[in-house]
Amino acid sequence: MKEKQIELIVQKVMEQLQAKFPTENRADPIDKGLIFTEKDWETSIPKPAFQEGVADLITSTPARIGVWRTGTRPLTKTMLKLQFDHAAAIDAVGGEVLENYLEEFALFTVETCYENKEVYLKRPDKGRVLTDAAVQTITERCHNRPQVQIVVSDGLSACAVETNLKDVYPALLDSLQLNNLTCGTPFFVKGGRVACMDHIGEILEPEVLVLLIGERPGLVSASSMSAYMCYRPRKGIVESDRNVISNIHPLGTPPVEAGAHIGTVLQKMLEQKASGVKLEL
Amino acid sequence: MSTVVIKSVGIDIGTSTSKFMMSELTLGRVSSHFSLPQFDIIERKVTYVSEIIATPLKNEEEIDLPSLVSWLEKEYQQVGLTLSDIKSGAVIITGETAIKKNADALIHYLAERSGDFVVAIAGASLEAVLAGKGSGAARHSQSSRAAIANIDIGGGTANVVVFQQGKVLETITFHVGGRLIEINSLGEVLRVSPSLKPWLCFKKFRVEKGMRLSLTELIEITSGLCGDLLDVLAGEKTISSLENLVHSTSCQGLPRIQEVMVSGGVGRLALEAPPATLADVAKFNDIGPLLASELMKAVKRYHFNVVEAAQTSSATVIGAGTQTTKLSGATISIQPELLPLRNIPVVKAALSEMDFEQQMEQAFLKGKEWFVGNDRLPFAIGLGGTLYLSYLMLKEIAGSIGNLYAKYFPSAEVLAVVCENDMAKALGQALRLQTKFQVICIDQIGIEHGDYIDIGAPLKDELVPVVVKTLAFS
Repeated sequence: MKEKQIELIVQKVMEQLQAKFPTENRADPIDKGLIFTEKDWETSIPKPAFQEGVADLITSTPARIGVWRTGTRPLTKTMLKLQFDHAAAIDAVGGEVLENYLEEFALFTVETCYENKEVYLKRPDKGRVLTDAAVQTITERCHNRPQVQIVVSDGLSACAVETNLKDVYPALLDSLQLNNLTCGTPFFVKGGRVACMDHIGEILEPEVLVLLIGERPGLVSASSMSAYMCYRPRKGIVESDRNVISNIHPLGTPPVEAGAHIGTVLQKMLEQKASGVKLEL
Repeated sequence: MSTVVIKSVGIDIGTSTSKFMMSELTLGRVSSHFSLPQFDIIERKVTYVSEIIATPLKNEEEIDLPSLVSWLEKEYQQVGLTLSDIKSGAVIITGETAIKKNADALIHYLAERSGDFVVAIAGASLEAVLAGKGSGAARHSQSSRAAIANIDIGGGTANVVVFQQGKVLETITFHVGGRLIEINSLGEVLRVSPSLKPWLCFKKFRVEKGMRLSLTELIEITSGLCGDLLDVLAGEKTISSLENLVHSTSCQGLPRIQEVMVSGGVGRLALEAPPATLADVAKFNDIGPLLASELMKAVKRYHFNVVEAAQTSSATVIGAGTQTTKLSGATISIQPELLPLRNIPVVKAALSEMDFEQQMEQAFLKGKEWFVGNDRLPFAIGLGGTLYLSYLMLKEIAGSIGNLYAKYFPSAEVLAVVCENDMAKALGQALRLQTKFQVICIDQIGIEHGDYIDIGAPLKDELVPVVVKTLAFS
């Protein structure tokens, strides 16, 4: 009953607002200058002694350089942008991938032993092991011993999955098709760490496994994804046995190009029966 | 790990002299192992530079092809090269020679007999840039704040390029060269190049074949040439006021230039003692030595800081051998059996969300009008623009290109796409899945409408050498 009442109140307020501000005044907030764009955040050195040199340095990195200062400290704008990006990074870690987003790609969800976000952050080991329920689900639902197993996971950035999966995943499927590779049953792992590949490898025994996982957010991008790849993942695999394409996001490694390249890397793993530092790329 | 060394040759056929050089280009991975692979030329080592020979001519307008080829064969033999060893390089026909009768035949003849992926290039602007890279001006500009002009003076033309921070700002070419007036030791004029006549006339100099000129008169002419050239570079005269001396230019006004470097045959002569007598001047039966000494004298009157060139007479050939080849991105989509492809014209369209298909159709119509003859592969499609490409857009673009290509070029078999941004593997994949064509899709190559492109055989599984020719022979 309470919910219904709130809904009614909201509806009334909305109607009143609409009467007060006729449609033509409700222009796009961006047009009205209410939303900050990247341009608004820009600051620059007022009179650089060597303009071309500074411009060259700035274009060479996404880091915050040549942003000027006040006394020995950053400008207020620079400080605010830093806090803004930091907040986005924290949100990315705390966020969750929406169930219906995953349905678009026909991915079902299983969980690791991470329990909740707090434990996930404190106990990385728990993100490497699937729950018993998860083991049972994938055993039942997944094709056993596939040539290629695709797994998607939120990892440390849920928004990495929401931003990039729609571009990486279909490009990856295309590359498998063109490389004549067959793919098992893909699924989503909630609360996953990179090494959950090993546990999944023990259960499904794929020839190669590719894990698309959200990266630890930074202050440049909070929605960056990595593709980890491994030949015959299993217990005891070490980091140097895996290959990775990192920094996949719209302003980094182009998602469609990354997806297209994964097929080639997997193909080489299958040919050479190796991955990681042993793989000749 | 991941380095490849390729041999690259440069051949420079100039108005008065010809040179040959060999170099080794080291390709290395420049991206981290956590990123998509990316290769670049990380070292350029010149391993051999030939003697400078006089360009063999049959008559005034025709190159003596057989003797040029036999010279070249001897050079190849001397450095122990077989054609299949050479993976890249360029034959450049420079200065006035390029307008001579059989240059077109020569350039193609040489391109086919000098190695697997040796390309033929010509054009004053390109020549200026290559000379500036070969002379060391480009490198110098990277460690200096100043804009530097490299003046490469050969027999027929003076090619000027302005660099700043290693980047080309502008190019301009003048009808100023050592061989534009040929004389003997008595000062008798043996020949005056037609390209110099308008300027001589404008300056009211009377120079004709058979006349005898004194040293003073020759000094007056050469110092006049150098003064006008430097006046333009210093911004004291406009380019349009000296139309009769300017061969071609990329701009109407040059940027402010602080430094100059002089290369080319005349650049080399500038290092020698100035000629004192008519006989000294006519050492090579032309005005080269005098032009060099007058240039060095004249340049002192300007604010320019003169920087010594690392290479003088070999600057262009070194530039041609080491700087013409570019590398594609390392994630591309090719069919190796279709390569190399030579002299493919390019039509360009920009990626856009709004009217991509329309734009593409217009580009195709232009291409259909301009480039006829090769039914199998009429032209390559250049894709520019900085739009972020989602998978949906990628599919749409691939669909548009495929449909339009099939519609306008029903007999085409190969579809070649050259992208500016890193997207070729994904786009190539989409094209393969959506069309029936054989696909060559490469990226990270900047290209303009009307350019010609050569795409070489792969150097590594997915890495091809590319030469973009902005001004090619038809």
